[in-house]
Amino acid sequence: MGRASILVDESGMVHYNVGGKFCVDAVPLKSWGNSLQVDSTVSQTTAIRSDLRQQIRATPGWFRSRQGRRLREMVLAYSFLAPAFAIIGLFGLFPLAFAAYESTLRGLNKIVGSYDGLGNYVKAVDNFIYILAFWMAAGLVYYAGATVTRALLERREEQTNPLPWLLPGALTAVGVALFTRFVYILLPEMLLIPSKLRGQSNTQAAFRGLVMETWWLPKVQIALWLAIVVLAVGAGWALFVNRGVPPDRRERIYFVPFFSAGISLIGGAALTWLTWTEINGAYAEALEQGEGLALWSQIVTISAGFLLLLLAWRLWNSGGDRPTNTGIAMRLFGAVALMAGGWVLIGELPRVISAGDEDWWNGLMATVFYVLGTVPIQLGLALILAALLFQKIRGQTFFRVLYFLPYVAPFVGTAAVFRIIFSNRPTAPLNSMLDLFGSEPLLWLSEPAGIFQMMAGSKLDLGPILSGPSLALVAIMIYGIWTYVGFDTVIFLAGLGAIPNELYEVADIDGAGGWAQFRHVTLPLLSPTIYFLSLYAVIGTFKAFNHIFVLRQAAALGTTDTASIVIFQAFKRDTRYGYASALAILLLIIILAITLINNRIASRRVFYG
Amino acid sequence: MANSALAGQGGTMQETHPAARRAALSRAAIYLVLIVGAAAAIVPFLYTVSVSLMNLTEATGGRALPATPQWTNYVEAWRDAQFSQYFMNSVKITLISVGGALVFCALAAYAFAQMEFPGKSFLFTLLLSTLMLPEAITWVPNFITVSWLGRISPVPWINNWPALTIPFMASAFGIFLLRQFFLQIPQELWDSAQIDGSGHLRYLITVVLPLSSAAVMTLVLFGFVGAWNALAWPILVTTTADWRPISYGLLVFLDEAGALLHLQMAGAIITMLPIVVLYFFTQRHFIDGIATTGLKG
Repeated sequence: MGRASILVDESGMVHYNVGGKFCVDAVPLKSWGNSLQVDSTVSQTTAIRSDLRQQIRATPGWFRSRQGRRLREMVLAYSFLAPAFAIIGLFGLFPLAFAAYESTLRGLNKIVGSYDGLGNYVKAVDNFIYILAFWMAAGLVYYAGATVTRALLERREEQTNPLPWLLPGALTAVGVALFTRFVYILLPEMLLIPSKLRGQSNTQAAFRGLVMETWWLPKVQIALWLAIVVLAVGAGWALFVNRGVPPDRRERIYFVPFFSAGISLIGGAALTWLTWTEINGAYAEALEQGEGLALWSQIVTISAGFLLLLLAWRLWNSGGDRPTNTGIAMRLFGAVALMAGGWVLIGELPRVISAGDEDWWNGLMATVFYVLGTVPIQLGLALILAALLFQKIRGQTFFRVLYFLPYVAPFVGTAAVFRIIFSNRPTAPLNSMLDLFGSEPLLWLSEPAGIFQMMAGSKLDLGPILSGPSLALVAIMIYGIWTYVGFDTVIFLAGLGAIPNELYEVADIDGAGGWAQFRHVTLPLLSPTIYFLSLYAVIGTFKAFNHIFVLRQAAALGTTDTASIVIFQAFKRDTRYGYASALAILLLIIILAITLINNRIASRRVFYG
Repeated sequence: MANSALAGQGGTMQETHPAARRAALSRAAIYLVLIVGAAAAIVPFLYTVSVSLMNLTEATGGRALPATPQWTNYVEAWRDAQFSQYFMNSVKITLISVGGALVFCALAAYAFAQMEFPGKSFLFTLLLSTLMLPEAITWVPNFITVSWLGRISPVPWINNWPALTIPFMASAFGIFLLRQFFLQIPQELWDSAQIDGSGHLRYLITVVLPLSSAAVMTLVLFGFVGAWNALAWPILVTTTADWRPISYGLLVFLDEAGALLHLQMAGAIITMLPIVVLYFFTQRHFIDGIATTGLKG
């Protein structure tokens, strides 16, 4: 099976859900088609039907008609898929290319700005973007190499033959790249249309005329047909190779690995070229203004820091498997590498990112606080509730329905309620409870100060990170926990139900008590669920918008704005389209990185029974 | 589990008594924790109901219960917030988008579950990978696309139903959910349908869909909840109240009502009620749908 990175990411979620059924093309090709007309008075027992099937197989010339039926089924299947894929393509996949393009443009509002390269990204994260871009390019190239190597290794070990797939896969990848190029040729022309209309009568007919004109531009048409021809040749070739594969070896189709390797190679090359020209441009500009620029040395230092961390991780892990002395030595070296890498990064990183957008960094920090503050508590509470509910409890359904209610109720409605509960009025519910204990009322959702800072008092200044999430953000976290505990409980209950009862019986016989059973049977078998839920919660936090948007108060001074809110404000309030797109792309990169790292850890720790 | 283990240890007559008492105690502790959890889940709702029935001085004065329930608050909130229009908008949006989603997702899911065509696993992977994309990345491009489509199509898209419904008429989640159910339908049914001379489309409509009514129900429910909760996208593509859905309407009303807490809470109750009622009637579909897919729409 192809293990494209995104596929792996998704499968982390899906694998658990469908128990490995995901993405398997193993349904044997039906040897008889769908248009078979038989008198339905024939008794329909399976025996007779299979007999019938054999007769059909034996008919002379069946091969040709089977091909015809396969073709018809193929066309029908594509037409079934067409509407869904048109919508998802236009509103789900195309935005990715569109946002990437938009993020390289200056300009406010709908007025299309001039090309700015990585300028928006530099505005957001400063020079760190160059390092990030180089490492992503390197990662893509590495991934391509690893995929091809794996295919070749399998060829030697399992006597498969991946090589015929190399050219069609690579050609299709080139076709997709050419199609992307077509989009990037068409898009700027189309986006220019509104400004072309300025001064003319702005009617719909004039607009449509200009759209048609743009579509028939020679360079657009050439790009389109070049892409279509290459794609068609690649796909046709792949179909041709596919026909040569015997049906019992269907699982050895190497189209996807070579295709994704080709895509990553092309993407990596494009990214390298972009970064290279951007860095040279930055140097030229600095020279013009007579300033010094230390981009390259920064890139090298930061990369060295990350490499040291990676080395430390590697050494520490493999040290555990070795005999005592070597293991200890390796762990020792790992610790040294960790310290050296950490030292370099702590010394250098702040200088590299110092000119980035403060709102964006604060947004990311708020998101991280939110994750650290909600996910463990939420999962812990849910696990306790689920484990207790799973004992033969009277009214299990009743409790489950109640726990789930906060998750189902519309977010804006419940957030409105929490806005009043966490209000800063002295008579608001929480403040009147504080009054009972004789404490001063708090500002809650309007309090921008960090909670640790508030505990430490005003004598001690803890700085932005150590002072922790603002009290306003903590209030929003409490709302988040309240909403999601029920959801997690339901998923945990499903996971608990899937654990075979015999295991508990055996544990009983072995004399394991309640806690020992929970620790050694329930927890390990529940680890896929725990993994899935934590990944879901972490990614969900980076995507979270609705409830934070309702609960945020101006008085909290933006301390509650997580990543998605910052993007929304850049777009809606500041109408900086290009900048908002750049931030969204950065958010996507963060989410992909979290998923990848999570998968690496999970493949070690999670026990798939 | 724990109790059977405890009971198993009590072998002789003298020991049974304390063991049983311990079992009863642990049972009581379990119920205590569960009840505390349920109270935490439910109290904010009760508080909302209580405040929504107070008058202004009671609501801002920090009382727990109204002296006499003011049912007119609901009438007032309904009128002030134009809830009748928001309700109709949301119902229309839900009907159009869920109806479209049902048709398109069912067709695509059937193709993935029951038909053979080249590129199947590749397209399915591509489909699932769209689940990774954060909504934030689609805001800018889709806003431009939608305003642009409005200029070349006969109906405007912004401030109108197409922008609010068409992007949601097909989703990877819906296709995935239906496909999982379609895969469970035994292959023999398809064989006999073929012998009866039925093609794919007829088989899908007459056999597969009726058999998957639970999945269809789940999809409809999630579509309903999703449309009811939608906030970011409606804020971007509606500028007037003409097509503004209920969540956005409530948000606008919360700002307008300002210090009138009792009206705010009445508005919140009005917004939540349809979903909560629907949930109590169909909670098994809700919970099972989420437990089997692990995803929400």
